[in-house]
Amino acid sequence: MAKIIVVTSGKGGVGKTTSAAAISTGLALRGKKTVVIDFDVGLRNLDLIMGCERRVVYDLVNVIQGEAGLNQALIRDKRVENLFILPASQTRDKDALTQEGVEEILAKLREEFDYIICDSPAGIERGAQLAMYFADEAVVVTNPEVSSVRDSDRILGLLASKTRRAERSDDPIKEHLLITRYNPDRVTSGDMLTLDDIREILAIDLLGLIPESEAVLRASNQGVPVTHDASSDAGQAYTDTVARLLGEDVPLRFHQAQKKGILTRMFGGSRR
Amino acid sequence: MNLKADSADVAFTFKGGMLPMTVMELNSADPEQIRQQLEGKLSQSPAFFQHTPVVLSVEKLDTPNLALERICAVCRDHKLLPVAVRGGTDPVKQSAWALGLGWFAPVQEERARRLASIAAENDSAEDQAPQDTPDEVVESSGARVYRGTVRSGQQVSASTGDLVVIGAVNAGAEVLAAGSIHVYGALRGRALAGIHGNLGAGIYCRELNAELLSVAGNYKRLEDIDARRLGMPAEVHFASEQLEIKPLA
Repeated sequence: MAKIIVVTSGKGGVGKTTSAAAISTGLALRGKKTVVIDFDVGLRNLDLIMGCERRVVYDLVNVIQGEAGLNQALIRDKRVENLFILPASQTRDKDALTQEGVEEILAKLREEFDYIICDSPAGIERGAQLAMYFADEAVVVTNPEVSSVRDSDRILGLLASKTRRAERSDDPIKEHLLITRYNPDRVTSGDMLTLDDIREILAIDLLGLIPESEAVLRASNQGVPVTHDASSDAGQAYTDTVARLLGEDVPLRFHQAQKKGILTRMFGGSRR
Repeated sequence: MNLKADSADVAFTFKGGMLPMTVMELNSADPEQIRQQLEGKLSQSPAFFQHTPVVLSVEKLDTPNLALERICAVCRDHKLLPVAVRGGTDPVKQSAWALGLGWFAPVQEERARRLASIAAENDSAEDQAPQDTPDEVVESSGARVYRGTVRSGQQVSASTGDLVVIGAVNAGAEVLAAGSIHVYGALRGRALAGIHGNLGAGIYCRELNAELLSVAGNYKRLEDIDARRLGMPAEVHFASEQLEIKPLA
């Protein structure tokens, strides 16, 4: 029986798709059979981040509307075994998604996979609500800024009320906080909210902290999830995040400002 | 929302209020006997008889017809202003209205009816509760207890009595209560106490950062709050025509 995990945030541009790609890659690298679904119908991005945009034939909406079989639409990742991508449709809108259709697809995937990662669109409308509706766990992606924290707070409220687990009064969805684009130097200078501020307001468990890193932008543009870049700080932070998702106790890294050595000060070295 | 209208063209607003009121419990229906005893009282404590409004309670009398007009005249002679009658039979009620007085239902019956209506409201509130209230909601004597963080976009209200939040009220969230609001955590959202007009309601919190505070429609925005009170335990009351924010000590 697969675990369904939604990656969501409310606010756009905080790193949902990057995180969904990185986490699903990390899970697959750990030997878990994983599928990542793009729920952002009309604004398809996940295929680009995963580097499989040239291999998309059928998509989520085709499957829901019975125009293609599930196995025809699933794209096998070229880099990692056990990883599959179900892309969104770029030509349709979110109204093409139906609750029954999503439920049916998830039920089929559940039998085959260990993890189903749902990449939610921004906002709190239909697409986002369907992405979270059947979830068992949620990764709430938040940037260290007030608007992102408030939107995450709103999403946490919806997770606790507008999901199947809430409606059936089952065990509530397990909520995890994933802070991305964290820049310890800018936190120290007061430009960004601190880790403690965010944790205090949102009051949920911290799953991971991803430092602001050039590696993320590079990975997105190359279509290689940043988890593959094991030498980068962001890649390592996502690997830690996946380990915690699997229940391991991993100490937090990258949350404190680095003391600059003489060489970095002389050459102004940038973070990899 | 029961916020006070700013515009000048609103001629009046209706507000509920709990005013101190003297009840004159009549044990006798004889105006002459009342007059004699009032004269005695007047000489003892003249300060009390300053056109003091009184409610005449006739609950203990079992006379179906009452010389209400004469009793009222006796009261006015002694600087007591009857404003209403409580209890009595239907003819008593009619004559009170004829004299321009209000009429209140007898206490016993009224209490029973009020309790019944509270019970009914509680039932309906519980029906709506699962919609937007993820955490456990406990109904106890008059106060609604909410455990957990009230998150942005959520609204938690107690239509009767107090609201107790064990957790924070985040920015963009709203808590409302007919009575007082107690937040055992940070209050960052909007808090509206006394929504049915109870000016005696208060707001108490461990950390004040509220977007809006309101007691019976009298409100203060975050911008209006003295910066020295922010981020600290505070209590909010309506006093001398405005909201008063004091450290909770």
